Amino acid sequence: MNNSRRQFVRHGSFAALALAMAARVPAAFAQSGENLRIGALNDVTGAGSPYGGGMQKAILMAADEINATGGAGGRRIEVFAEDSQTAPDAGVLAAKKLIEVNKVHAILGTWSSGVAAAVMPLTDAAGIIHCTNAGASNITSSKGLMFRYSALSVRIGQALAREIAKRGHTRLATMAFNNPSGREITGGAKQGWEKLGRQLVGEVVYEPNRPSYRSEVQTILANNPDAIVLGGYLPDFTVILRETRQAGSNVKFYAPAWAVNQKLIDALGAPACEGVMTHDYVAALDSTAYKTFVDKFKKATGIDPTENYYACCAYDMMTVVGLAAQAAGGKPAIAPMMRAVANPPGTMMYDFVSGKKALAAGTKINYEGASGPIDFDDLGNVKPLFKLSEVRNGKVELVGNAFQDY
Amino acid sequence: MFYLNLMVNGVVEGLIIGLAALALNLVFAVGRFPNAASGDFMTIGAYAGYSVQQLGSHSALVQGLAAVAASVAVSLASYALVFRHLVGRSMVAPLLASIGLGLFYRSIVSLLFGLDPLFFVMPPIHAYTVAGLRLQGTDLWLATLAAASVAIVLLLLHVTPIGREMRAVADNALLARASGIRSRRVMIALWSMVGAITGIAGLVVALRTTVNPELGWGLLLPAFAAAVLGGVGSPAGAILAGLLLGVMQELSTPWLGFSYKIALSFVVLTVVLLVRPQGLFGTAQVVR
Repeated sequence: MNNSRRQFVRHGSFAALALAMAARVPAAFAQSGENLRIGALNDVTGAGSPYGGGMQKAILMAADEINATGGAGGRRIEVFAEDSQTAPDAGVLAAKKLIEVNKVHAILGTWSSGVAAAVMPLTDAAGIIHCTNAGASNITSSKGLMFRYSALSVRIGQALAREIAKRGHTRLATMAFNNPSGREITGGAKQGWEKLGRQLVGEVVYEPNRPSYRSEVQTILANNPDAIVLGGYLPDFTVILRETRQAGSNVKFYAPAWAVNQKLIDALGAPACEGVMTHDYVAALDSTAYKTFVDKFKKATGIDPTENYYACCAYDMMTVVGLAAQAAGGKPAIAPMMRAVANPPGTMMYDFVSGKKALAAGTKINYEGASGPIDFDDLGNVKPLFKLSEVRNGKVELVGNAFQDY
Repeated sequence: MFYLNLMVNGVVEGLIIGLAALALNLVFAVGRFPNAASGDFMTIGAYAGYSVQQLGSHSALVQGLAAVAASVAVSLASYALVFRHLVGRSMVAPLLASIGLGLFYRSIVSLLFGLDPLFFVMPPIHAYTVAGLRLQGTDLWLATLAAASVAIVLLLLHVTPIGREMRAVADNALLARASGIRSRRVMIALWSMVGAITGIAGLVVALRTTVNPELGWGLLLPAFAAAVLGGVGSPAGAILAGLLLGVMQELSTPWLGFSYKIALSFVVLTVVLLVRPQGLFGTAQVVR
């Protein structure tokens, strides 16, 4: 009797094992149907907070759109949203959680160079896509996994130098927040200025969170510059601008858009901010993709994304990854497909739904996004439109036309 | 003139560091441990002053009173709830507790106000230029306030009975107790004083820069350097050391640059610890 029971158990367990393995085998094919897990790693708080919240919402919105059509390549998009706090240590902790715990297939929407540079080695080691807006040149991937939806900060600096010369300034100085973003904007400005045969009259690199910037301001003003390219953020620029005006100088600052906004004007008052110049990317405002994105975003969140170029980028990041996953036919290798769906030649597409249909019909597509044409070069960079604005009467107003030759 | 202006910058910054170092030295002298939460008392004072401005009051006096009140409250609470229970243990226990308390206060502040830096509404005010020397009106006020706080503290310590009792406890706690000095009164006076000093220092820093959760923590290390340089346990030494460090830092910028001038404080700290550990004015204590 024991023998037969033992036999039954043995045969039964073999049978059960065989059944289980048989059940597993289709699962191996169904692995391509596994959810496409996306890490939305955005600077919701900190110096990037004007943009990070909008970026995260845009990614979620794009993911919902993709899932409403049945997913990308048969894979449902699952977004894990984290706040990198515009701080590299918080960003790395969040990225590790996304990669090791949530096992994401892509990280989208890093914005500050500090966070993106810290997260880049992690994404490369994990072999996953990293879509970023950070401009520092040390953010590169040896595996072709980095896709930058902005320009390199160095090129922005060079473009600024040319604009500043065009506007008749002759004595340029630079002030840089001591991180790659700040140093490369000013480094690019220096390069651009020297290419015009001129020399800077002052260069200062300053540290964050100092109890005072008096000496830094005193040093930079020592040689009477008439323009200063500043690569920094809102907290430090507020103090520096206040100190500069208190020193009696009306020098013209050229600062990034994330350092010049209503908070600055509220803290210092409109007269002190009068004439401050700021530079920013601008979305392709006339494009179909942009207009439909704005409508959808306003309906979904109630916020106008016009001032948040990076939210448009984040939307495009998710959409391009979705289209690439669709083009990959549900297979895991998405990165090689990124340029196939976003770069010319191809039929121009402005949203995921039409892109998915075209891909299903076998057409080569060229996605033109809400933020711009999105054509990645060999290094993974795009060339967005760029604009200058000036603070006039307490408001930031566009000056001249947006341009792209830089 | 360039260097004289740098010196003036250094004096103002040095006074702030000196205030923080004073708070540290007081606690070390009377309480016998380094209080790593001093910076966070400053932060809380700054946020209290900021809240008052947000509620509509632009009077520096009201903001200052709010800052002092908040810091004193937090300081006394820290003593009553935590440090009082660690008396008699080795120095490590209250030190670690103060680090933990600091983290706790920073988290509360972040929870209530968010992590983003906040700004006092302070339009620029032109500086007076006296014979090439640039004197900022607001900085002069703040420097006077800091100097006055120092003077009041030193007066309290050397002229009032409670000050005498504090110095007695600082000298020899056992003997003080045997002489009938009630430690509870002394401690309350100590922590109130510490709260007032850190509240003022925090508000001064916030008025000149931004209000953020790391405000005090960022000043803690230079304050420690000044405290050690001045002589741990010497209030006057702390102020002088703070001034010295502030001036030296700013004067060094043409050579060291702005990124490395901060390192100067720590080089000084290291040298002092190696060469003359009791600092400029401290007394060497024999540890049996």
